[in-house]
Amino acid sequence: MQSVLGDKKALVILLGPALLVYSLVMLVPIFWSMGYTFFSGNAISGFTFAGTDNLTRLFTDPEVRTALSFTVRYAVVITVGQIVMGYLLSLMYVFILKKSSNIIRTLVFFPVVLPTVAVALLFQKMFEIAPQNGLVNSLLNGVGIESVDWFGNASSAFWVIVLMDIWRSMGFYAVLLYAGLVDIPEDMLESARLDGATGWRLIRSIVLPLSMPVLLSSIIFSINGTLKVFDSIVALTNGGPGSSTTPLTLYMFRTSFAFGDYGYGSSIALLLTLLCLIVTIFIFRSSRRDLTKD
Amino acid sequence: MSTQVPARKAPLEAMQRQEPRRSRSRAGKRLAKLPVHLLIALLLVVELYPLLWLVLGSFKTQQEFLNDPVWSLPGSLNFDNYIEAWTTGNIAVFVANSLMATLPSLALIIVLGVAAGFALEVMVWKGRNGVLLIFLTGIMVPGQMILLPLFSAYFNAGLTGTLWPLIITYTATGLPLTVFMMATYFRAVPREVFEASTLDGASIIRSFLSIGFPMVRNAVFTVALVQFFFIWNDLLIALTFANNSDLSTIQVGLLNFTGQFGAVQYGPLFAAICINVFGTLAIYLFLNQRVMKGLAAGSVKG
Amino acid sequence: MATMRRKNRMLLLGVGLSTASLLLTACGAGSSGDGGGSEAGAGEFSFLTNVENTTIPTELETLAGDQCKTAADAMPLKVDTVPQTNLDQQLQLLAGQDALPLQYAAGNAPALTKELAASGNVLDLEATLTDLGVLDQVEPAAIDTIKALYGGFNVLPYQYNVEGIWYNKQLFADNGIEVPQTWDDFVAAADTLDTSGVTPLSASGEQGWPLTRLISGYLFSDLGKDALQKVADGEAKLTDPEYVEAAAAVADLGQKGYFGEGVGSIDYDTAINQFLNGEAGMLYMGSWVLANFNDEAANQIGLDNIGFMPFPRVEGGAGIENQYAANVGLPMAISEKAYNEQAGEWLKCITENYGSSALANQGSISGFKVNEEVDVDPLTQTVQQTISDTSESVLWFEALFGTQATTASQTNAAPLVTGSMSPEQFMDTVQSALK
Repeated sequence: MQSVLGDKKALVILLGPALLVYSLVMLVPIFWSMGYTFFSGNAISGFTFAGTDNLTRLFTDPEVRTALSFTVRYAVVITVGQIVMGYLLSLMYVFILKKSSNIIRTLVFFPVVLPTVAVALLFQKMFEIAPQNGLVNSLLNGVGIESVDWFGNASSAFWVIVLMDIWRSMGFYAVLLYAGLVDIPEDMLESARLDGATGWRLIRSIVLPLSMPVLLSSIIFSINGTLKVFDSIVALTNGGPGSSTTPLTLYMFRTSFAFGDYGYGSSIALLLTLLCLIVTIFIFRSSRRDLTKD
Repeated sequence: MSTQVPARKAPLEAMQRQEPRRSRSRAGKRLAKLPVHLLIALLLVVELYPLLWLVLGSFKTQQEFLNDPVWSLPGSLNFDNYIEAWTTGNIAVFVANSLMATLPSLALIIVLGVAAGFALEVMVWKGRNGVLLIFLTGIMVPGQMILLPLFSAYFNAGLTGTLWPLIITYTATGLPLTVFMMATYFRAVPREVFEASTLDGASIIRSFLSIGFPMVRNAVFTVALVQFFFIWNDLLIALTFANNSDLSTIQVGLLNFTGQFGAVQYGPLFAAICINVFGTLAIYLFLNQRVMKGLAAGSVKG
Repeated sequence: MATMRRKNRMLLLGVGLSTASLLLTACGAGSSGDGGGSEAGAGEFSFLTNVENTTIPTELETLAGDQCKTAADAMPLKVDTVPQTNLDQQLQLLAGQDALPLQYAAGNAPALTKELAASGNVLDLEATLTDLGVLDQVEPAAIDTIKALYGGFNVLPYQYNVEGIWYNKQLFADNGIEVPQTWDDFVAAADTLDTSGVTPLSASGEQGWPLTRLISGYLFSDLGKDALQKVADGEAKLTDPEYVEAAAAVADLGQKGYFGEGVGSIDYDTAINQFLNGEAGMLYMGSWVLANFNDEAANQIGLDNIGFMPFPRVEGGAGIENQYAANVGLPMAISEKAYNEQAGEWLKCITENYGSSALANQGSISGFKVNEEVDVDPLTQTVQQTISDTSESVLWFEALFGTQATTASQTNAAPLVTGSMSPEQFMDTVQSALK
């Protein structure tokens, strides 16, 4: 039996193609680019060996510090927001709306379908101050508060980004987590209810532990997505005002292709990869431990 | 007789006990439902208003965009913007390109990813945790990093100028997450199922095809949905490798409504977005129904 | 059992579908796979440009069917486009494979164009056009501008733009404002407009450059034409007090609210629209904006109502009289590696005919001589006159900077005028991005 489950030929057939494609198209280019970490220059004027200059530059570059701090703040806030909102929505689907949740689920999922360009335009228009007040400023004026130039300073721009990204992704996480909640056997919930567990106690003692695996993969998924945020910020603020909302990915892209310093760009990418690695291993470890406990 | 009495009594007692609680909870439920209804109403406004705004916007003229408030209605219902988007915007070509890049990559991701997830989680061999970790690295590496090496590889392989670079890149970048998620889902399937089937003499590939794959069918739909929107909404890879207006995907095409020095043709852009959105919405509704049917057919673990 | 069989069928169906779609793609990809934009096909006049620019491709296609038919028959025109934001990346990738097309938009910043030239990717047009005997078909002023920007006659002047301040004659008359000659007059005029409830200056802070143009205008007028060359050469620093003064002068306009509210989120269209619907009294912009002015639906103040003036003098400054900034739009270079005799035919024909053709068909002013009589509106005529009367022009703020400093400058322009960044901080940020 074990020999069948360990059949080498079958292993090659099942795992081989995926591993091959993945290695050729991702792993090789990753190591290739890592190699550029030790060079400066670009494809036009050629590369010259730079030793560890790029790596030391990482530690002194104030732009890296700004970008890193923005990336981390963004990732933490958005991940928490996405997961919490998504989980609350999925709980609502399962326990309040029950069978009738289909239409609501579809509607809340809807922003995911929108192209980034469209979502960014929507938020720009909603929060605009000039030439006319957008929806948000009009509402503020309605209750006697003066218009705010939302994209004019770093912290308000940050919160508009947060709002936009949570708005567009919460439906997605809700569906993802919903799939996990639906899999919880009804009889387990029923017996817990008979034991007198209701509301929050039911959720805390039964639902939460049982949906842990899908919750954890959602978190891994979310944190890795948010640490690598690119499109939505480019479309909404393009990193501004100044460089206050520039994530590492955008800084890396600009350094490599616009500033023509591919080696340094690769170094920034390396930094980001390490960041993702540390965070993921941390979450991965805790998820593995949790599963063996069950 | 003695056994009959409590048997009769028990439901009665239960009824007596439950009756007041039930009515209390029903009244309470109605009260509790009020904020929930409000919440749902709010949710619907927040989710639906943009859709309305997009549709209204697609009928507005450039002057209406620049001079009227954001929430104003368009002056007339004319389809000029749609005609503009369809003809000069070339939307039909972009949609076709998007489909031709997305569907094959999606199919490859699913077939390769599910098989690999199965091999990594169900099969027993040395080093599978290591390989899983290698796949996991793929989730972490920023996509911007592989662009330059891939560009020269595709160029030297003579693939530039076709949609192949997109398909290959999408497949490879979609694999790590798929493999990882499928491995997680297979972990939830009791091992005895596979052990029993191999005891029956089925080869491992056979038990993958006849038992493994069908058992995670719901998960496959979920993953496919996730990957579909990733690929469909991708801008970075499409911009880099489809460097030719005949190959542009819909997302790249949307950038065509920007003029020199930053001018934007809002009306046609909105019309193009609407065409795109309602197209994807249709696909989503179709897929969604499949996912729901799959879920209704019985859950994996139950 | 039955369900199991159905499941198997589903699976088979899935696999079948994916195979079918693969085949579909193979065919589809094959049919459009004719080498694309990358390889400069031997017999093709391949041209890579930004998708935002439709004037040049349209005009070249017109020429291909008319004056340049001989050249186009021997070497058909093939246009490819990329979004401008992605242009630099594509140039990096294509140049890395020695696959630049015959003619291409050579980067968003002059620094990249120079880098391409230094690596042998850009044809020396002075020598080539002399060989072809058509050097005299290019306006000398345009050649001067190109040399100042790109370190040699390396790109074609498909556009020749002058930048200055456009003003609303009616609003000026209503408020008793004379066309300002000096910076102080200019600030006073803005103040008068502001008091009467009009936004004095319409500017797109989202784009950034319309604001930094004011800084460089002030610098050139105050410190002389070579003010920024000195910075590029390292003889002066942007953080020197006389340079910070210029940033402070512009920041001051913002502090007084002369750009209106939310200048950072005003995009290009909005800025122009504010001027054209009479909400704003002045607009700093290049002559390409004539196309918008000529759009009757957009222009509510009327073409006759628009005046054009040079950048105001800073009193006691060392700058030139009638200071206009000039540029040739996004630079279009010819690849030295792909150039051949047939391309020479094309180049000769473009140089001889583009000027009048583009002006007649698109109202676009280029740096090629206009060889045929063309009827244009009075405002365009004024601009043309200004161009031919201008012997000396200046560049723009970021013209001699690298891309990094350009980005730093343009993204921080809005924070500078909204006051969230001080003039010293602004100049310091740009200076430290200069390499």
